[in-house]
Amino acid sequence: MHGRVKVKSTAQQEEEKRKEREKKLKAFVSARDAVLRKRSAGEHDEEALQLTQQLLSSNPDFATLWNYRREVLLQLETSREKDEVQKLYESELHFIEACLKVNPKSYGCWHHRSWVNTRLPQPDWTRELGLCDRCLSLDERNFHCWDYRRVVVKESGVSVEQELQFTDRLIGSNFSNYSSWHYRSTLLPQLHPQPAPDSASNTSPSPTASPQIHSHRIFNCLCQLCDLPPGSVSDISNEHNLTVHWTEKYTHRDCALYTGEHRDQLLVCVCGRSELSVEKSSVLQAELQSCNQLLELEPQNKWCLLTIILLMRALDPLGHEKETLAHFQTLKEVDPMRSSYYSDLCSKFLIENTILKMEYAEVRVFSLSNKNLTTLCHLDQLLLVTHINLSSNQLLRLPPQFAMLQCLEVLEADDNAIESLEGLYHLPKLEEVSLRNNQICKLSDLESLASCTKLTRLDLRGNPVHKTANIDSELSQLLPLVTALSL
Amino acid sequence: MGTQVKDVVIKPEAPNTLLLDKHADYIAAYGSKKDDYEYTLSEYLRMSGIYWGLTVMDLMGQLSRMNREEIIEFIKSCQHDCGGISASTGHDPHLLYTLSAVQILSLYDSINVIDVDKVVDYVKGLQQEDGSFAGDKWGEIDTRFSFCAVATLALLGKLDVINMDKAVGFVLSCMNFDGGFGCRPGSESHAGQIYCCTGFLSITGQLHKVNADLLGWWLCERQLPSGGLNGRPEKLPDVCYSWWVLASLKIIGRIHWIDKAKLRSFILACQDEETGGFADRPGDMVSSLWNCHIQFCICIYILHVISLGLAILYTELIILCGTFLPVLYISIQVDPFHTLFGVAGLSLLGDEQIKPVNPVFCMPEDVLQRIGLQPDLLN
Repeated sequence: MHGRVKVKSTAQQEEEKRKEREKKLKAFVSARDAVLRKRSAGEHDEEALQLTQQLLSSNPDFATLWNYRREVLLQLETSREKDEVQKLYESELHFIEACLKVNPKSYGCWHHRSWVNTRLPQPDWTRELGLCDRCLSLDERNFHCWDYRRVVVKESGVSVEQELQFTDRLIGSNFSNYSSWHYRSTLLPQLHPQPAPDSASNTSPSPTASPQIHSHRIFNCLCQLCDLPPGSVSDISNEHNLTVHWTEKYTHRDCALYTGEHRDQLLVCVCGRSELSVEKSSVLQAELQSCNQLLELEPQNKWCLLTIILLMRALDPLGHEKETLAHFQTLKEVDPMRSSYYSDLCSKFLIENTILKMEYAEVRVFSLSNKNLTTLCHLDQLLLVTHINLSSNQLLRLPPQFAMLQCLEVLEADDNAIESLEGLYHLPKLEEVSLRNNQICKLSDLESLASCTKLTRLDLRGNPVHKTANIDSELSQLLPLVTALSL
Repeated sequence: MGTQVKDVVIKPEAPNTLLLDKHADYIAAYGSKKDDYEYTLSEYLRMSGIYWGLTVMDLMGQLSRMNREEIIEFIKSCQHDCGGISASTGHDPHLLYTLSAVQILSLYDSINVIDVDKVVDYVKGLQQEDGSFAGDKWGEIDTRFSFCAVATLALLGKLDVINMDKAVGFVLSCMNFDGGFGCRPGSESHAGQIYCCTGFLSITGQLHKVNADLLGWWLCERQLPSGGLNGRPEKLPDVCYSWWVLASLKIIGRIHWIDKAKLRSFILACQDEETGGFADRPGDMVSSLWNCHIQFCICIYILHVISLGLAILYTELIILCGTFLPVLYISIQVDPFHTLFGVAGLSLLGDEQIKPVNPVFCMPEDVLQRIGLQPDLLN
């Protein structure tokens, strides 16, 4: 189905081609019918092997034929001695190799080969590894072959170091070898195992999975805001917070109890924050230097730009903020197809920096205005925020995660492009919302606000919704508690 | 020395409007000439072929032109004693065709013409100790089959029969350093597998386990200068990746990370104005322009950088020298597979002439609404 060609030709050539195809088709149909007839008759003999061989050589995706072949082979096994079985399956391997030459990407061929190795009294893993080498030398990106190689390596006990050397050779002769790089990503952790992921961080459970990009790990925090019955916290001490810090190797942990305004809430937060070790730091620093040198040679190179941004974040996110913003601007110019990605990534980093600049979790008033934000994230870090300013950005929506801001009293989000207020839902302390100059178009866009029972001030000036018929009365019906409404 | 940036060049005369009527005519006529070479040779996947044809016709509002009764009888004749369904009469049952059959019967709201309980037993019986699914009794393991299993059971309302935790655990064990997924643990990321795994995680309510920013980046990097999408780095674009990649991006809430206008142009250019239908990439003779724009590309894959507690850093620096040069190619043949994924891709991009398509099941949204299936998507 892929890469097939329609070549325009003369009427005569068309007719010749048509006759040729008709002949081929007839041959195929009669062979196919013969095979299926034999199978229905329960015949598991040499002729079955011959017929299926004919068909499979040029139709290796005809899976049922491989199944039939396996049934025949299993049947023949029962009447043969061990060394004959060995020969039987070795010749099967020859046949499969011939099929693979014609179609090196057939799932059926590769699976059948794996199956044959489970039946062989004495599999020859060295030969199988050789087959993989040959196959990969023809096409280094053949994932069927790579997957088969992984099985061979496992069965034959080839060492991780040897396989790493193999990838070294391949990459050395041709850089364009994503498959080899990928393989390395699975080999290296076997040589240098990671300690088990801790429960407080969000690393994925798989040993081959990627730990998050550095800048994310600072924000691996579990936070929970709990309501307490009144009078739970005694007035003995004047302290508003109780924090316990401890360190495990390179990881710092905090567990902080914060009291709310009326001493009726506690924020329990378990946060893991890792410091870069000196070794890591210096390696990254060296990488950053190299990349900057390369950038001088190739100022428009997007891979270089993006990598520099990531390295800078790993080393010193706040210190490099200005440079980072400049690089993002260049990125959007040299790689415009992905400018939405770069805008969202830049937004995420700016939000992270703003969080870093403030003393963690003491924040009550949080400003993200005028930062070209296209997306919101890390809202789970803002559980104690009472005032938030999102004005003058490029936000399209207040996402569902916004509803985590349970302490929020005032929201300013003027001069964006907000159409959806999904996240303004069940915010029990929210009193004032300003959404001037956005894209709220329909009354239904405002429905979630009805669940914010303390909301009294709402500014909707400069939104298309004001054109809706009877908007004043509709709104006072939807939001009866709002006393100060600006349209 | 250099590595070519593989891509295609779209000729200015390439189709740039959507020729829905021609595609409907193409599909309606496909397979009516039973002596067609391609058609006969693809019998081993007939059930999927029918699913592709019917789905694209339904998306174009033309389902009524297909022969419902004949198809339903055909499906009935393909269910085996074990409960599994085969691609065609005389072929062996397999999860791939069991899913296609269930999808077709869902489109036709006729699920009960087959023995549903037996289908459920068949699917359940294919789950392995480690949570993975075999495609059939011969034991090939692949995350595609994990998707087929849960999609089939979801359409039948029977997800509870399998060991969900183990099934999820297996799929997650196939997640790679780049956030993508492969066939089996350790396999390279591939857009088709990513579609299956994100679809699987959507159906099983586990999308939060995906690293959406990392995977989204890998997926949006599939877009080439021509606007088309490839299936993995340094491969040619193909219209079917307009589905695998785009649907995956939609599922993880990052569809805005590709350039929609450029992709649309690419997809439209894959149409064949004469015969109707879509081919895998735009056609017509192009003389190769040796546009040697030598660009030093620096590609740094930060592998496992700065993960908690790692003693050694896996930062590896490679310098890729790239020469950009258009590829010489000629007219390509259309088929129902690429026709469905071209049209479905356009639907995901918001084309209002096509019915909304569900990114997880690749079926019209209205069919899933009727069944009551609304799998989660990330924002």
